[in-house]
Amino acid sequence: MKTRLVWLRNSGQTVAVGAANSLPPSSAVVRLDQMSGPVYTVPVPDMILDYMDFNDPMLALSSWIGQIGDFGLDLVWRFIHIVVTLWHIVSGIFESVESYAISLGLIQKYSSIDIEKLKCLAVVVDIEAARDVSKVIELLQWLTTIGVKQVGLFDSQGLLKKSKDMILEMVPRSVLLQETGEKHISPDRIALEFISSSDNKEAVVKAANILLEKYLKSIHPENGVGENVFTESHLNEALRVVGESVHVPDLLLVYGPVRSHLGFPAWRLRYTEIVHMGSLKYMRYGSLLKAIHKFTGVRQNYGV
Amino acid sequence: MREHVGKSSKLFNGFTTIMRRFIFKVLCVGPIPNHISFIMDGNRRFAKKHNLQGLDAGHRAGFVSVTYVLQYCQEIGVPYVTLYAFGIDNFKREPEEVKCMMDLMLEKIELTIDQAISGNLKDLKVIFAGDLNLLNERLKVAAQSLMELTEQNRGLVAVVIVAYSTSHEIVQAIRESCVRKCVDGDSPLVLEMSDVEECMYTSIVPDPDLVIRSGGIDRLSNFMTWQSSRSLLHTTAALWPELGLWHLVWAILKFQRMHDYLQKKKKQKLD
Repeated sequence: MKTRLVWLRNSGQTVAVGAANSLPPSSAVVRLDQMSGPVYTVPVPDMILDYMDFNDPMLALSSWIGQIGDFGLDLVWRFIHIVVTLWHIVSGIFESVESYAISLGLIQKYSSIDIEKLKCLAVVVDIEAARDVSKVIELLQWLTTIGVKQVGLFDSQGLLKKSKDMILEMVPRSVLLQETGEKHISPDRIALEFISSSDNKEAVVKAANILLEKYLKSIHPENGVGENVFTESHLNEALRVVGESVHVPDLLLVYGPVRSHLGFPAWRLRYTEIVHMGSLKYMRYGSLLKAIHKFTGVRQNYGV
Repeated sequence: MREHVGKSSKLFNGFTTIMRRFIFKVLCVGPIPNHISFIMDGNRRFAKKHNLQGLDAGHRAGFVSVTYVLQYCQEIGVPYVTLYAFGIDNFKREPEEVKCMMDLMLEKIELTIDQAISGNLKDLKVIFAGDLNLLNERLKVAAQSLMELTEQNRGLVAVVIVAYSTSHEIVQAIRESCVRKCVDGDSPLVLEMSDVEECMYTSIVPDPDLVIRSGGIDRLSNFMTWQSSRSLLHTTAALWPELGLWHLVWAILKFQRMHDYLQKKKKQKLD
């Protein structure tokens, strides 16, 4: 008699798996007491497994066909991804050529930009790239040349915040936004703001606690109801108390592998145009001009 | 002749279904997003482009797209889908247009309720998220019934987001968490992040892995900016009623290319 691996279905939902030695060849019903060796119970909800025999050639063949099928699908999937990667490489080359042409001034429409429309620009930098602060400084110098007045620099771990003194020193005519306030930036200056993840959700929770305190203080002893301090303007005010800027950037440039805002303050991101610029290491002046120019042509409905 | 046409269109449909299933089988070799959010933009532009009459013509075309997208996501095996149907800012539109959209939503919800009652919706669970108190009474009641009817269903969870904006959601979540803290006498009167997050309208679903916006716009328009810190934001130029199989496949392929990077970002210390 052959040793067979057996799955059993009982009246409930658990199934037993074990070896059975003394079974006639075509038993339709197997009892637990006929099993020898260790028996493992396996919870199998919504599934019924049939009595199987691994020595059956048909089963081996269908399993083999299944494996070939999976291998075939895997090959097709990899092939598709190779094609997609090639597409990205080719379109990257076209973008580089276009960017070079723009930076040389060969494409007419990018030669003048209505920079007044861009009141506040934000730049999200991927943390690995942010370790190379010189690239960030170069980007800021480009932005100064283009005429941008206010730039918020974000990286999720706060590395740029730690290098802020160096950045302020190396970028000509730059000033920290918190010192000047948004309305007092002189025309030849660029105001910089350094933002990290702690200015996102943690800051909102701190502001929420301020609102909670306000609410508790306002509770009437008679009816136990407090003042309505839960409005957008109250939250804006509470965020300012916590030391956060609530200014909404018009345009967000993402320098990283992926178009993702990586945790930029959610409260400020509501109507911001988000543009993916590629990696910081290979940033291009022409692409920057193109993104800003495209923004100045955008018309917002604000949902209306 | 009609029989021939009927037979050939059946054959063609059968063929496209087999091709589609094959494409999805290939796609499923790689990682599939756990949660895809759709910002359904471009209905009005679609109506204008095709000279469709009626204030809700574009949105009716948009609903057809919704049914296809849900079907494709179900076949691929995406567990959660979010559809941004109506934002709080949209209430500022012309009153007739707003009424038209509300009536259309009611009509489609009642249609879906009939489908659910006849047992055709076993693999779909529908949830409405947002400030439902801003909707008219009839619509609110219909939405509640559909949620109750599909509550026990297993399969794709489709969250329809109505009367929503991130700013409104954050403020309401803070209000709700403050009220809960006051009522709960045991815990200290300090709000933690989890207190605020569990009061959000979208706390019923995990954060989106992939946000797809139709209509070629590069903004999130006050949609899930809190939850999308580690999401791939994908914009397609196709207007929502034009969004089809290949747009979805392309977005998922992009997600698969970036999956390792996004997973690494999720594991890093989060905000």
